[in-house]
Amino acid sequence: MTPRYVRAYGLAVSAALIVAAAAFVRYRNQSFEHRELERARVAVSAVATGSTPLGHTVAWGVVAPPEATPRYPFLPRRRLASGRVLGGPSAAPGDKLLYDAAARTEKSGPFIEFADDLVIATARCASGTAVAVSRPPAGPEPVPYLVLIGLVGLGAAIAAAGARRGGNAASAGLVVGAGGLAIPAAVWSGPIAAGLVMSAVVSVAWAEQRGWLDRAGAALVRNRVAYSYMAPAGAAMLLLVAVPFAMGLVLGFYDHHAGTWRFVGLRNFIDILSGGGHSFADPLNFWFTLGVTVAWTGLNVALHVAIGVALALVLRQPWLRLRGVYRTLLIVPWAIPNYITALIWAGMFQREYGAVNLLLGHLGLDKVSWFSSWATAFAANVTTNTWLGFPFMMVVALGALESIPRDMYEAAEVDGARAWQRLRYITLPHLAPALLPAIALGSIWTFNMFNVIYLVSDGRPGGSTDILVTEAYRWAFERGERYGMAAAYATLIFVVLLLWTGFGARLRRGRSE
Amino acid sequence: MTAAPVLIASLAVASVVAPGCARPDRDETVVLWHSYTGAEKDALVEALQQLNAAKTLPPVELVAVPYDVFADKITNAIPNGNGPDLMIFAHDRIGDWHRAHLIEPIEYFVDEALADRFAREAVAAMAYDGSLFGLPLAVKSVALFYRTDLIDVPPTTTDEMVALGRARTNRRAGAYGLVYDNVDLYGHAPWLHGFGGKVFADDGSLTIATAEAEAALSFARQLASADGIVPPESSGTMIATLFNEGKVAMAISGPWFLADIRDQVPWSVTTLPVVSDTGRPAAPFLGAEGVLMSARARDKARAFQVMAAMTSDASAVLRARRARQVVPNRAAHEVEDLRADPVMAAFRRQLERAVVMPATPAMRLVWTPYKTALQRVIERGEDPSAALAATQREVQSYLRHAGEAAR
Repeated sequence: MTPRYVRAYGLAVSAALIVAAAAFVRYRNQSFEHRELERARVAVSAVATGSTPLGHTVAWGVVAPPEATPRYPFLPRRRLASGRVLGGPSAAPGDKLLYDAAARTEKSGPFIEFADDLVIATARCASGTAVAVSRPPAGPEPVPYLVLIGLVGLGAAIAAAGARRGGNAASAGLVVGAGGLAIPAAVWSGPIAAGLVMSAVVSVAWAEQRGWLDRAGAALVRNRVAYSYMAPAGAAMLLLVAVPFAMGLVLGFYDHHAGTWRFVGLRNFIDILSGGGHSFADPLNFWFTLGVTVAWTGLNVALHVAIGVALALVLRQPWLRLRGVYRTLLIVPWAIPNYITALIWAGMFQREYGAVNLLLGHLGLDKVSWFSSWATAFAANVTTNTWLGFPFMMVVALGALESIPRDMYEAAEVDGARAWQRLRYITLPHLAPALLPAIALGSIWTFNMFNVIYLVSDGRPGGSTDILVTEAYRWAFERGERYGMAAAYATLIFVVLLLWTGFGARLRRGRSE
Repeated sequence: MTAAPVLIASLAVASVVAPGCARPDRDETVVLWHSYTGAEKDALVEALQQLNAAKTLPPVELVAVPYDVFADKITNAIPNGNGPDLMIFAHDRIGDWHRAHLIEPIEYFVDEALADRFAREAVAAMAYDGSLFGLPLAVKSVALFYRTDLIDVPPTTTDEMVALGRARTNRRAGAYGLVYDNVDLYGHAPWLHGFGGKVFADDGSLTIATAEAEAALSFARQLASADGIVPPESSGTMIATLFNEGKVAMAISGPWFLADIRDQVPWSVTTLPVVSDTGRPAAPFLGAEGVLMSARARDKARAFQVMAAMTSDASAVLRARRARQVVPNRAAHEVEDLRADPVMAAFRRQLERAVVMPATPAMRLVWTPYKTALQRVIERGEDPSAALAATQREVQSYLRHAGEAAR
């Protein structure tokens, strides 16, 4: 058996082993559960008929119907049919299982289920509720290592025999050798597991025959330094970006309620996109929120760019003294964590003591209730985010301005171009390539600027200044933990941003051509 | 009854419920999570130190968990087996936590004699779906704080309250009669109940859009209107600032407000007035804070011993003295110095006119939509009936989803 076939067999048998092991664990847990629940059922029917349960029953009894405590309806007294009282401040904790199981049966019917390492079964009978608590004797079956090792060894021999003859026999040996694991998988978990084993093995054999394994292996060896450098970042990206992203996508098709998940297909998306029965003027309608979000993003980015570029142009003037100081000061809003800035602005827009209203008061104007109407609340949000956003655009513009060759301005001056013409035909065209990616990035940040909306207006008045990402938050944490809806919102936000960046990329390509 | 017999009585109770526990080791420790700070924390620590010193109880390990992450930590930690044995929290999560199998029913351990230790509403607040899930440590509701330099006799009816408030209100000067958290259901609840409204009917159906609720909302809008007595956007820290600066004569807030009042401010506290239109007292929500047991508590009998000892009369008296907690223990109300304390007396009287905050999961869906209605009506002057109808529709849609999902 050549090293090639050792490699291929190793790969195929590992994939097959993973599937087979999963199939075994599933089979083992199911059969264990089934067996123990059945034993508990037998035990509780024994208790109900008044005989002593066999096997591993550790506590049992028939609990008589509860006696009401007149003043405290939630403190019913329960006793066994034999007369022993259950419970009380100094009662033994062992009876608690019987008491609670009887209480639950009275409320919602008999049940049989696992509780940690015990199985509790209840049944109704003539004199009350029969309860049997069993402790399963041992855990589930152990992994059949010998079977697996034997199959792997036998498979290796078959694969080696095939490899000696070469050609198609080698592939056949590989499929038969590693595919042997499909037999126990079929026994444990049915045809699906066997199919998975076979398809894994066949695809490895196929890849081997086409020479893909060789090529992939060679590339891995040739670029091993590069791959080893990439591995940590790759693993981190997979773990921190790809996995949560995939989970988020999947959760959008589920519905969450009180800890249980239910597959609902596209219902979340249909609910959201149809507006959920709310009119377009209602802040609970997706399209209203989307409109607010787009207006919010557009206005913010426009202001960021306008203020940032204007300041950059001023800071670039040679006659300006202390340029370094101004530049540092103007970057400060960007350097402070944005939720702190948002909280400060929220305080400044406060009606009674806020700095903004005090200033208006000094100017002889009336106080404004900033968060009582949509326009003023939106304006407060935009003001805060503009304060946070312009330094980034300014820094980008400053960098781009530095890279414009001076001699172009000199040539333009020689040709008699005025200041406005120099700005229009030299400065702005040179700024555009640097600004467009910054605008794309800035619009994504603004689109998802949770902190400002949540901390400044908090959606006031009546949720009308919420944007998509705060709306997703509210579905998750304020409307009964509808995580599925929140995930669907997140997916829709992703789609909108994907369309927007695609459009932005086309815009950039169009400009550069 | 004075303090001494109470102490003896509670020690007797403790000795009954706590059989000897000679050598405490790590496994016997009962872990308790709480989010108390300041005086409440000091009082809790002191009470537990006394219990630990008595050596009749398992040792208790206190873990402070910040309030704002408490619920999330509980929902994550308990199913993974990293949670506490006991936790101190408000009663309104009991429904949710019970449904998620996070907390343990304890009626097995509790008899009538033990329940009689507490005021009825307080222990009833710890019950849900016919089971008991905790023992109450403190009860909290809002009451009427007023500045004695601005108001001689506190109002007993809302008409008096408005008249007194008008006299103190001067919008130009930024002076107002009354301040309370008016765009939050918790702050609005006294009027809602005072006008005869409710969030849920006794059969559990939603009763948000009713004539009574509209009347309460109209009243709140009137209070905050241009010729009203309540400043716009009055919430949170604003309440304390206005009150401390004497810019407002009355404030509706709870026991937590005591820590915010500055030393030199002359103040007192009394019960909320009777609603003049209906003759019913304005009734705030009653929140009970209690000690609950984790469904995964390692030794439930031992954990219960700690619960019982923590809520004993002696411990309650200590917490009431040190932290001015309004404790639900009947015996503590009879202790001389606590009975004489006007603040404690006012809150106790208010609790008799309070409505236990529903502990159902459905209630948690109400807060935000109701806030929307309050904002629309009070801040934007919209029509109460339309706003409440919209809120009722919104909550109904969430409840419908919950009902479908449960099926």
